[in-house]
Amino acid sequence: MRRGFWRSYCRLLVVQGSWNYERMTGIGLGYAAEPLLADLKTADPARHSEAQVRSVEYFNSHPYLAGLALGAQVRAEDEGAPGELVARLRTALTSPLGSLGDQFFWAGLVPAVMGAAVVALALGAPPPAVWIAVGGYAGFRLWTGFWALRAGLASGPQIGAAVGRSWLTRWAPRAGIAAGFILGVMLPVTAGRLLGGFGQRELLIGLLTAVVGLVGGIVLGPRLNSVRFGLVAILGGLLFWGLR
Amino acid sequence: MSGAGGVLALLAWGTVIGLDLTTFPQVLLSRPLVAATGAGLLLGDVAAAVQVGIVLELFALDVLPVGASKYPDYGTATIGAVALLAQRPGEVTAWLGLAVGYGLAGAAVGGMSLRLLRLLNTRAARRASAGLAAGDQRLVRVLQWRGILTDVARGAILTALLVAGASVLAAEIPDALDLAPVSAVAVGAGLAAAAGGAYRSAGRGSRPRWLLVGLGAGLALALAR
Repeated sequence: MRRGFWRSYCRLLVVQGSWNYERMTGIGLGYAAEPLLADLKTADPARHSEAQVRSVEYFNSHPYLAGLALGAQVRAEDEGAPGELVARLRTALTSPLGSLGDQFFWAGLVPAVMGAAVVALALGAPPPAVWIAVGGYAGFRLWTGFWALRAGLASGPQIGAAVGRSWLTRWAPRAGIAAGFILGVMLPVTAGRLLGGFGQRELLIGLLTAVVGLVGGIVLGPRLNSVRFGLVAILGGLLFWGLR
Repeated sequence: MSGAGGVLALLAWGTVIGLDLTTFPQVLLSRPLVAATGAGLLLGDVAAAVQVGIVLELFALDVLPVGASKYPDYGTATIGAVALLAQRPGEVTAWLGLAVGYGLAGAAVGGMSLRLLRLLNTRAARRASAGLAAGDQRLVRVLQWRGILTDVARGAILTALLVAGASVLAAEIPDALDLAPVSAVAVGAGLAAAAGGAYRSAGRGSRPRWLLVGLGAGLALALAR
């Protein structure tokens, strides 16, 4: 393994630590780049200084996949690629790595895992089922970070093609399908579990609220987000029934 | 667990959860169900905590925590909701709605605190722009750790406020209220949030079909029980 790999890997775990509206994860990526760029300091100090400046410029992607960009950038710096090309590579990776990671993790794997955990509990699994879900997800997240940095260092400026051929691109749509199916299973099972413990009046109130919230959310869109609807509905319920 | 030790453990757990949301290690600890299960263990009533965790998880499933978008902080808010429920042991059905409402308000406040943190980070980065342009690596480390430690403080302060607020709220609300319908409303709103999220994220292609297949399977499973 390349010198500085593990230190960079650990630093990548906090890549969003200084997330800001100007450079986004740029500073976090520069912080993670430092150990990997150390060799360049002795080989070519002038180039090292330029590479450091480039490493903290604007960058944003899915946090688990930032290693792909970091590895590719460091490899390009090692190979003496022109600075402009390195900067372009970094910019070019922002959107694809962001959307691919969001698709696979935030819109696919996370709802699938959490939906499965909710279903398991609703069907009577003991609470430790939650820790099994977290443990499995955490292991996969740590492995993804390792894979990303290694793939980035191995591919350099050819990272786009490497990502295109990778498991991530193949599995992103499948993760979404799995999430869709599991959330579909979750809704009636959870409704039965949560509303089953109430009397008939509360059951009707709960179902009516669900229908009004769903239709209202679809018709009004982002103007009626779930937090707003939830707060208004609960406050309304409190005024109508609780304080009567 | 109770007393000062319990409160400190809850604060520590809330801080870890707050940090997990965007900074470290982002391994689902900040999901309401996970946060609630941990808080329930610390407060000695996992079953009640899981109940409120499931309802808040339904709300959280509607959120896509993408980059610069604004989103609520459900994790630390769940600690407040569980702390409120723990004030009334054995009254989960009645107090679930209030706990969920408290959690939703806490999540909105938590989301604001996250935006404030990002604004503070932006100001710090702007001030350091000359040093960053000169390749000052020490400055990069300072900015990074400053951001991480500020997020630690954010999680700790938010948890402390929510846990303290839960005690005050529980003491102020009279016993004689008819709260079961409020709990049913909270569950219904949570189901609407999760269903809306599933519908919106389904988009086109084969995912909507699989959502419908899942709904059918879930309905059969629910009826069979």
